[in-house]
Amino acid sequence: MYELVRETFRYRELIWALAMKELKIRYKRSVLGFLWALLNPMLLMLVLSIVFSTIMKINIPHYAIFLLSVLLPWTFFSQSLSYAVESIVGNADLIKKVRVAKLVFPVAAVISNMINLLLSIIPLALIVVLMRHPFHWTWIYLPVPLLALTIFTLGATFFFAAANVYYRDVAHILQIVLQAWFYITPIIYSLDFFPEKYRWIFKLNPIQFVLNGFRLSVYYGMLPTLQSIAASFICAFAALYIGFSIFRRHQNDFVFYV
Amino acid sequence: MESVTPPIRLEGVTQRYRVISERPDTLRELFSKFFRHKTTFHDFDALKNVSLTVPKGEMVGIIGRNGSGKSTLLKIIAGVYRPTAGRVQVTGSIAPLIELGAGFHHELTGRENILLNGLLLGYSKREMLDRQQAIIDFADIGDFIDAPVKQYSSGMYTRLAFAVATEVDPDILVVDEILAVGDLPFQEKCFDKLKRFRAAGKTILLVTHSMDQVLKFCDRAIFIEKGQVLFDGDPEQAVHFYRDRVLPSEPVLVEMSSH
Repeated sequence: MYELVRETFRYRELIWALAMKELKIRYKRSVLGFLWALLNPMLLMLVLSIVFSTIMKINIPHYAIFLLSVLLPWTFFSQSLSYAVESIVGNADLIKKVRVAKLVFPVAAVISNMINLLLSIIPLALIVVLMRHPFHWTWIYLPVPLLALTIFTLGATFFFAAANVYYRDVAHILQIVLQAWFYITPIIYSLDFFPEKYRWIFKLNPIQFVLNGFRLSVYYGMLPTLQSIAASFICAFAALYIGFSIFRRHQNDFVFYV
Repeated sequence: MESVTPPIRLEGVTQRYRVISERPDTLRELFSKFFRHKTTFHDFDALKNVSLTVPKGEMVGIIGRNGSGKSTLLKIIAGVYRPTAGRVQVTGSIAPLIELGAGFHHELTGRENILLNGLLLGYSKREMLDRQQAIIDFADIGDFIDAPVKQYSSGMYTRLAFAVATEVDPDILVVDEILAVGDLPFQEKCFDKLKRFRAAGKTILLVTHSMDQVLKFCDRAIFIEKGQVLFDGDPEQAVHFYRDRVLPSEPVLVEMSSH
């Protein structure tokens, strides 16, 4: 774990350059460029508001905020994974020619998506203002779930990036897993939709603690319980420990399989 | 000798590849293999028990047929591979020029790739920005420096790659037969640079198929076959050895090779 921190610091300039490269390529040849990072949540909100409040008649007030407060962090998580799963295989050219710490690739994938997430907080705030939703003081709590989510995401990306080196199916399986995971996580719905006696099933979901922190502070103006915060960090560090251990054990062999 | 540790020292290095006839690339293949209880692979030693010491300031040519283990040797020295067995000791900074474009990203411009490549080689952003102009001048590819490298010709690619690898001023330079791609003036410029490098006490490893280059520039040559060093020493003798082994029946007229 110490090694991860040390190496990340040591290669910070390289990681940053790789993250910037990814963003640049993502928005390349689009007229609006970086503006898309801001525009995306706005347009998404428009679509969702129409679908859920007009057509499906969900009676959650300010549903767009209810949803986006969790959907944006979830998107960060799922996008980071989708990018990172290919990060070792996709950089085969580099890995085969230059001696380079392999961890820079998944870390860069997470950072580039983190920049996207941070940018998308601006339109979220804008939507809160536009919908006249109260601007809760609990927004200042956001760095805490952000930190936990980043740690959790890093762990997952290390695992999937390493696994995909050996079996390219992993990238495909991941997409299905993310789809299923999206629906079993209280993102488009609230946990209260379910009878009390089934809720424990959802509590097994390691990402829901941290996502709940986002919703509580942005939408409800509340703070999660201490147990919930502890649970989110325990899940995060467990994921990082498992993911990075596996990655580390195999990183020197990647070059033979990419 | 001012320094006791040679820049490059290999002891009993073996690199084993597992060549699986049909490597299970997907889970389906893995499962079907698993149920049939047979895997068809054989181990292949790309390098067998290679020991090698290169002192400071030497320019060493590495020759041998395709698949003899030359590139594997370079990759081990460059730290890209960790060998199956043996010890590798490399002292000082190393710039590898392995295959075309030592890790350029196609969508980025030449200028952006200079920075990225330098960071990959372990230099700081500051150092790279200081050297950027010298690299651009040496590569001499005009306005293409601000075009994505996917639009480059292979010659331009090589020019830029060579410029980055040499202008960062490494202690050890590893060059894998990429120079054959450049045009003659540029090749001359490169060898000029290599000579100045050696004069400055730097160590150079050069994989090449041009016996001319070995005779003209190298202090020493190593002939590799089937993963073993069969000859290590005087370039002239090495070239002789090469011709005897690789071109046994043909008369000696294949000298112009890459030119």
